[in-house]
Amino acid sequence: MIQRLLVLTGYFLRRLIFSLSGIIYIIFGMIFWLLFFSPGQGTPDSEYYILVIGAFGAVITFLSALTVAARANRAANYPMVVRLPSRVEFLAAVLFTAMIFAAALQLLVAGLALINGPSLVMNSLMVIPPVWFAVNSIAAVLALHASDFVTVNWSRVYIFGVLAVFLFGQNAREPVGTWLSNRLIGLSRSVMNSGQIDLGSSLSELAMRISENNSELLGNAFGLVFWPFRAMADAVVARSFGPAQALAPAIVLLYSTILFMLAADLFGSKDLDFLE
Amino acid sequence: MIEISQVTKKFQRVVALDNVSLSIPKGEVVGLLGPNGAGKTTLFKLMAGLLRADSGKIRPLGSGWPAVGYKPERLLFPNELRVSEYLHLMAGLCNIPRNEVEDAVLESLVRVDLLDAAGKRIKDCSKGMRQRLALAQALIGDPPLLLLDEPSNGLDPEGQADINRRIKQLNEAGKTIVLSSHQIHEITEVCTELVILNRGRVHYNNRIDSALATRTHTIVQVDRELGEISDMLRALHPEVYARGNQIILREEAMQLRRQVLVMLLDANYDLLHVEEKRVTLDEIYAEAVR
Repeated sequence: MIQRLLVLTGYFLRRLIFSLSGIIYIIFGMIFWLLFFSPGQGTPDSEYYILVIGAFGAVITFLSALTVAARANRAANYPMVVRLPSRVEFLAAVLFTAMIFAAALQLLVAGLALINGPSLVMNSLMVIPPVWFAVNSIAAVLALHASDFVTVNWSRVYIFGVLAVFLFGQNAREPVGTWLSNRLIGLSRSVMNSGQIDLGSSLSELAMRISENNSELLGNAFGLVFWPFRAMADAVVARSFGPAQALAPAIVLLYSTILFMLAADLFGSKDLDFLE
Repeated sequence: MIEISQVTKKFQRVVALDNVSLSIPKGEVVGLLGPNGAGKTTLFKLMAGLLRADSGKIRPLGSGWPAVGYKPERLLFPNELRVSEYLHLMAGLCNIPRNEVEDAVLESLVRVDLLDAAGKRIKDCSKGMRQRLALAQALIGDPPLLLLDEPSNGLDPEGQADINRRIKQLNEAGKTIVLSSHQIHEITEVCTELVILNRGRVHYNNRIDSALATRTHTIVQVDRELGEISDMLRALHPEVYARGNQIILREEAMQLRRQVLVMLLDANYDLLHVEEKRVTLDEIYAEAVR
C-alpha cells in the first residue's frame, strides 16, 4: 500500500507543480510573503508570524486539495483506480498531495519570512508543527468534501450546512435559543389543540428550559466544537500550550480523521463518473 | 471467474442494465455485442468496480477478486507523460517489486509492439498507438482478467487484425478476457462466448461455436409479394416469419416446411428458391436487437 500511495502521490504532485494552478499558487505565496513579511517592513511578532502563515497554509491547502481533487476526477485515471485494492488509497493520495504541496509552500514562505523576521524561541518553535499540521489537515479534508470528486448528491450541502449552523450558533447564541424556544412553543400549542395535552406540555416545558438556559446550553454546545481552534490561537499568543490546550491539535486531527472517514465512505460507495 | 447475478443499474430514470445475469468462465474470451446504449460500457464499469450496482451482485467464482486490467472505451491518458513513464506509473500500482518494474514495462511494450514509441509523449501518439498503449497498461502486472471495452475501435482493418491477433495470443496464454465490440466479425474471430445486450438486457448468451453449429433455418422465396397468406403462415408457428416474397422458418418451425410449401402451391405461388441455411451471427444479432 505504501508503494502505491507513494507512486500516486508522486504522480499527482508532479501534475500539480507543473500545472498553471501550481505555478499560480507559488506566485501567490511569493506575493503573500511580500505583502505580509517583506524584509523592508518592521520585524513582526512571533505570534503574528505563526498565525498569519498558519492561515496562509490552511488557505493554500484548501485550494490545492480542490485542484488535485479536480485533476484526480478525470477519466484518464480510471485504469489506475481499477488497479487499487481499495479506492480509499486514491483518495488518500489526493489528500497527501495537497498537504505535501501546501506544507512545502508554507515552509518556503515561513523561511523567507524569517529574513529580517522574528527570532523564534524554542517555545514558539514547538508550537508551530502541531498547530500548522492540524489546521492544514482539516482544511484539506474540508476541501475534499467541497469537491465533486467526493461529494455524493447533497453531501457537501449537509456538511457545510452543519458547519454553518455551528458557526452561526456560536456567534448568535441568544437568537438561536429564542428562535428555537419560540418554535417549540408554537409546536406545543398545535399539539395541545390536537388533543395531545401530555406531549404539548412536555414541549412547552422544553421550550421554557431552552429559553431560561439558552446561553449556557446552546452556546456551550456550539462553542465546544470550535474550542480547539480558539485554544490553539490562545496557545500561540501565550507562546506555549497549557495542559488542556495541548489537546487542541489532537482534537482537530480527530475532526480531520472523522471527516476523512466520512469522505472515504462517500467516495468508496459512489459511482465514479469521472470527467472525460 | 466472475458471476454477475441479477444486476440492475439505473442512471436517474434511465435503466442502463436490467436484471442482467451471466458468468465469465475462466480462460474464455467473452464478447459483448450490442448497439450503442445497450449497456456494454456500464457492465464493464461495474465489473471493474467503478460503478456500484443498484441491485444484484457481481462476485468472483474463485477465492477473492482477481487482479483486473481495464481498457476503457475512450482512449484518455495523462497526455503530458511519455509512454514508458505512464507504464512505469501503472506498474507501480500493481505490486510489482521495484527491481522488476523495468522488466514488466519492457515486456508489456514488447507484447503490444510499442517499444519504438517508449520515449514518445502520449499526446504525440497516433490512435493506433494509443489503442496499443491502452492494451499495454491493462497487461502490466499480468492480471488474469482483462476487461477490454472496444479494443479495436477506430482502427483501420490492419490495426484491428493486429489487436485481434494479440487478444488471441493473450487467451492462449491463459487470460480470461471480456471484450465489447460493434463488429460481429471481430467477435466471431476472437471470442469463445457471445453475449448480446440490448436496452440493458441480455438477449443472447451462448458459446459461439454451438450457436453457429446448431441453429439453421429454411428460406422459401416465391414469385410475388405474399398477400393475405402471410397471416395464415405466421399463425402456423411463432417461428415462421413472412415478409415481402420470402418466408423464413426458424428452429422448430422447420418441421412445418412441407405444410408451408403445400399452402403456397395451393395458393398458386411459384417457388423460386428453397434453401436450408445455417444462422449467421449477423442474423442472431439482428434477431436479438430487433
